[in-house]
Amino acid sequence: MARETVTRSAADNVYLHKDFHGALSAGIAYLESRYGAEAVRSYVRRFTVKYYAPLVQAIKDRGLSALRDHLQRIYALEGGRIKIDFAEEEMTLEVEECPAVAHMRAHGYPVAPLFHETSKTLYAALCEGTPFVSEWLRYDARTGRSAVRFRRSAP
Amino acid sequence: MIPCTEFIPAYSELFAFLEESRGRDAVRDFWNYLSDTFLRTLRDLVAAHGIRGCWMYWNHTLNEEAADFTMELDEEAGEFSITMRRCPSKAMLLGLGHIEPYHDYCGHCDVLYRRVLEPLGYEYAYDMSETDRARCRLVVRRKPAL
Repeated sequence: MARETVTRSAADNVYLHKDFHGALSAGIAYLESRYGAEAVRSYVRRFTVKYYAPLVQAIKDRGLSALRDHLQRIYALEGGRIKIDFAEEEMTLEVEECPAVAHMRAHGYPVAPLFHETSKTLYAALCEGTPFVSEWLRYDARTGRSAVRFRRSAP
Repeated sequence: MIPCTEFIPAYSELFAFLEESRGRDAVRDFWNYLSDTFLRTLRDLVAAHGIRGCWMYWNHTLNEEAADFTMELDEEAGEFSITMRRCPSKAMLLGLGHIEPYHDYCGHCDVLYRRVLEPLGYEYAYDMSETDRARCRLVVRRKPAL
């Protein structure tokens, strides 16, 4: 019978708990099964508008380069393979493999049928109130491979 | 994509969304669902290894979450504890200037783990009196045999 003690400070580890993707997926699955698909989209939109308000403001101020910088940062953090085709008026994000979906598949977490709304609805909400719109081009539920285009909306 | 580093505000907002659109009970229902479906690893570890299963489970999660904590295990006494000096989740929420954390965010830690551990024969005590400073303490004890 053992006695053990461990003490850690925040600096001892890197903050990167990818199992959180599984928890978010569980939340999305729950919302859909209990309240329907529209509840999923309403929740993601609400979260985006509130939490990403500073990013939305940056998009208004700096244009698509603010969104490009954000996307590069988060996918680099998670080791995701992406390609960004950038121009001031239009930008396309190609996700070759989604690190969230890859982690869930590798560790046996169910991927919610509407998990892609955490990207599709999120990107649409990020563009609200900015001069840009998003177009969800394609998505592979197995790998999370996807493409989305952001472009200046018609006047 | 919502990166895993931004999951905590996403979950806080999910709790708030549920409460505002469906009422407080909807949040509790969701926590129960999460406990039943998402904490199988904790349930399986404790079922297989007893109180050491708690150590194995939290040793993984707290390190990946870069928490500031002390974790103690006394197998002979059947006791496990976590003294959280700075919960990374709550600290993140408290540090966000532009959104308000869900008012009972830390309540999920009480509901989720209690629901797993009590049916397995353990007492679960959770002190939330300092969660406004991102501090808490949980103690799991094996219930004495009758």
